[in-house]
Amino acid sequence: MQAYINYTGSFLPGEPVDNNDIENHLGLVNGKSSRLKHKILKANGIKTRHYAIDSQQKTLYLNQQLAAKAAENCLDRAAINPEKIKLLSVATSQGDLVLPGFGSQVQAELGMQDVELFSSHGICSCSMMALKNAANLIRLGEHKRALVVASEMPSRLFKASRYEACAKAVDFNAEFLRWMLSDGAGALLLEDTPKPGGVKIEWQRSFSHADTLPVCMSVGMPKGSTNPEAGATWQDFSTYTEAEEAGALLLRQDVRLLDNIVKLGVEGFLRLLEEQLVAIDEIDHVLCHYSSDHFRGKIFELLKDSGSMVPEEKWYTNLYTRGNTGCASIFIMLDEFLKTQDYQSGDKIFCMVPESGRFNTAYMLLTVN
Amino acid sequence: MTTSKKESLNPIAQQCLQSLIGIWLGFEKQLNRTEIIRKLQQGVLTQSDYQTLLLNLRQQVIEGSRWISRAASSFDRDFSDIRSIVIGHAKEEHKDYQMLEKDFVAAGGEIADIQSASKNIGSEALHGYMMHKSSEANPVGLIGAMWIIEGLGEKMANEWAGRIDELLDLPQSATQFMQYHGENDDSHMEKLYAMLNRVCTSEAVTEEITTTAKVVARLYALQLDVIDYE
Repeated sequence: MQAYINYTGSFLPGEPVDNNDIENHLGLVNGKSSRLKHKILKANGIKTRHYAIDSQQKTLYLNQQLAAKAAENCLDRAAINPEKIKLLSVATSQGDLVLPGFGSQVQAELGMQDVELFSSHGICSCSMMALKNAANLIRLGEHKRALVVASEMPSRLFKASRYEACAKAVDFNAEFLRWMLSDGAGALLLEDTPKPGGVKIEWQRSFSHADTLPVCMSVGMPKGSTNPEAGATWQDFSTYTEAEEAGALLLRQDVRLLDNIVKLGVEGFLRLLEEQLVAIDEIDHVLCHYSSDHFRGKIFELLKDSGSMVPEEKWYTNLYTRGNTGCASIFIMLDEFLKTQDYQSGDKIFCMVPESGRFNTAYMLLTVN
Repeated sequence: MTTSKKESLNPIAQQCLQSLIGIWLGFEKQLNRTEIIRKLQQGVLTQSDYQTLLLNLRQQVIEGSRWISRAASSFDRDFSDIRSIVIGHAKEEHKDYQMLEKDFVAAGGEIADIQSASKNIGSEALHGYMMHKSSEANPVGLIGAMWIIEGLGEKMANEWAGRIDELLDLPQSATQFMQYHGENDDSHMEKLYAMLNRVCTSEAVTEEITTTAKVVARLYALQLDVIDYE
């Protein structure tokens, strides 16, 4: 039995927001425009993105609603009603509620009945985990169809008031992601038989390196911590107000560690080449979720050094117009690729998601049906 | 022999370079698993930890010039061009350890302590292996060893030195040894590419180079892993 992604969908809330308009949505911290903004935006190359927050800083959607809208967009194309699907596999870095699992909430939004549920939690690569789970259950013959949804809504963490509440804990690492991440959701419908316009999932592999490096992207530790300590995480403070003041509720990136993601991403690719799971010459398209244009150049450099570069014209991304939507990015990218780009039956699409959370790199090879 | 750019390598050398980069990236992970480098990565390395690191590196650095010199003498007339490069390399680095000793003192150590320290068991294994390989006729596999050691020089200069100075916050820098290794990187790397291009004429040579690189990487990581080993 094989698993095929036969339909895709996505949802990006509101109109595209350009670089000059970002602070209308997220707010001005202490009434002032950020000094770091231009530097970070220049490095990441993102021109427009979407927020589920309007220009008056009012939240318009739940994350689970973004997920449901992407799923509906996917199912509309397939002309399949949600109740026909009995496996729902979802991913997000943060649901609207701390509990229950995000999957339950997305199921309820969609009105799906009697589904088997899987919620994957992590950062950028957790959508690949949700997808692998669904694909494997189809391969096992337990389900004929599966809906896989990845959705992110980090903008709520970037509201100006969050930074004003902990002025002493705000540094470059705390502000960095404010100019990197945005909202959106992507959905895939998997089936056990191929359909025209869909793709077969040849394989998925991932390598996690959490044992070799400290935490790189996190929420939950006060400023200055590099690893969680018993008694000093966000839930250990006497009140959440104190946790917030200490900066433990800010989304942080330890930028010093970031270059490791390029090396580990390429190391995993070299391993796949060595295992002969993929050959450079057979790849027709590369969809890589790099978080920033800055890393595109670095990845290319290392691939060229190692003689494993896939020609640049084969690389596709919509990062610059749709933004970095965390775990939803790879689904949103695949959706737009399949709907707008030229490809032929038999083409091989290589997907790559290097995640900097604590360094997990995920890969997948697809063949166009 | 002229220097080569990595873009103009012959296909076998290119394949060898691809394997070497994979081995290097795996080695970086091994390093990150060692206690001393984890301390550095997590920003909890103390002055005493750094002294211990230098103390454990020094013996292998001193011995390093010995295997390079011996390797040079093991290349016969057919490899005289390689021999010239290796001799040049030995000359450049054979007094490195003096810089390392100064750093040890700058970090608060006693010169007598570092000079009288013996090799740790990882250094013993690494040194033994290097001397063994260097004694073989035309030891082209050592290009794999140089790949790992040059890479380390670059890593020390670009990643470790600045972080150590920042964490230790000493009145004067105690990372001259590590910083020095970043300065000649580009020309060293070009020489390595040129040597790869020159010697990679068969898959057997590639195998020899990559195997040597793997062993050296593993033994180097062992050397850091057994710091404080009782």
